[in-house]
Amino acid sequence: MRLTKRTLAYSASLSIVVAGAWGAAFASDPAHQRHEAMEAVQESFKPLRAIAVKETAFDAAVVKKNAGTILEKLKEAHGLFPEGSAGGDSRAKAEIWTDRAGFDTAMKNAQAAAAAMAAVTDEAAYMAAMKTLGGSCKACHDKYRLPKQ
Amino acid sequence: MKLPSRRTTAAIAFVVAVAAASFWWLTRPDPLPATAIPAHTVDRANGEVLYHAGSCFACHKPPDGAANPTLPSGGTPFKTPIGVFYPQNLTPDPETGLGRWSEADFVNAMTRGLAPDGRHYFPAFPYTAYRAMPVTELLDLRAYLMGLQAVKAVHPPHTVPQLGLARRGVGLWKKIALARPPFAPASEGSDAWKRGAYLVNAPGHCGECHTPKSWLMIEDLRHHMAGGPHPGGEGKVPSLRGLVAREKYEDVSNLTLALQNGEELGYEDLSSGGMAAIQENLAKLPESDVRAIADYLLSLK
Repeated sequence: MRLTKRTLAYSASLSIVVAGAWGAAFASDPAHQRHEAMEAVQESFKPLRAIAVKETAFDAAVVKKNAGTILEKLKEAHGLFPEGSAGGDSRAKAEIWTDRAGFDTAMKNAQAAAAAMAAVTDEAAYMAAMKTLGGSCKACHDKYRLPKQ
Repeated sequence: MKLPSRRTTAAIAFVVAVAAASFWWLTRPDPLPATAIPAHTVDRANGEVLYHAGSCFACHKPPDGAANPTLPSGGTPFKTPIGVFYPQNLTPDPETGLGRWSEADFVNAMTRGLAPDGRHYFPAFPYTAYRAMPVTELLDLRAYLMGLQAVKAVHPPHTVPQLGLARRGVGLWKKIALARPPFAPASEGSDAWKRGAYLVNAPGHCGECHTPKSWLMIEDLRHHMAGGPHPGGEGKVPSLRGLVAREKYEDVSNLTLALQNGEELGYEDLSSGGMAAIQENLAKLPESDVRAIADYLLSLK
């Protein structure tokens, strides 16, 4: 096939449309979106753990910034569990919807723990806040998340 | 229709009787006699370590809302592909717990999968792993349990189809599953590594979930700790091999920290699939034992 300017232009625009549709499909998939939000939570958790295990020194600014991101991303994820969004690669357990009140409480506990962590200004309070925050992740994952697929 | 002759009927009855008798004979219990229990000064502290190493409480915990939520009085439904089990009360209550069990009763349960009355236990109770524990260790564990506060707890019967016959049939399964030698301690390697191997394979029974099983529900040792389908029916149990190569953990210290703290320090792989409860028990072990477990696990390539 002879590549004319026109065919090139057509293929280019077609690729953009396909890629856009693909992206939009993902972007509107709540299971994918909440997964991204949770990955962001995990990323922000890493510097907090480094402080907890004394790999890095306590720094209130670092704590505030990362706990703030965790809180924001947890709130975002919490809104991304509509009915019928389980299955596929998702590790969401059916209990999220059969015990919605319990799930909402577990999610709110995690958000409260993240907010409390963001307000920590001294090292003495840090470890307790860390246990509460990590414990809130654990409690929810234990009950409402499937083992890896 | 012509009725079978008397001779045919007699022949069928004979075959059925022989089959039933063979089944009965092949599935008979084989308990250890009381005389096989050595004299031993019990060490309750060691018993407590074994109790946590085996995560006994993870399965033998009471149902939500129990009056003594931290005691292993059992009864929380344990779902398996063949039905729902209600694990035994491990407190020394004489009516519903271990109160009237002799030392031999306890050792028979742990190493031969036999109840005090001689009935077979289903392998949902992992005696295939526990049988690798020396009798003295089992006596320490028993002493720890007998020192707990007694809790009376009546559980529903297991909901396994044809429970009585299935239970007797476990005798046949044992003929195959227990014919294989139990985990044997290695003669080489560091003390920590050997300790870790023992804790993981004998009391810890990690392979119950982390080693895939054959169609006979026997661990496939060619894939020891290589992960497999989750016994709960959904999702997978991760492999414990190559944890460093696959960049799951950096080193022994890192894995020790993960086992001690779980997701409280953000090690999110230690939640979900029932692992959170196991991790909480492992966190109660002396640090040297957790390090030993980590040391052994990271040696699995």
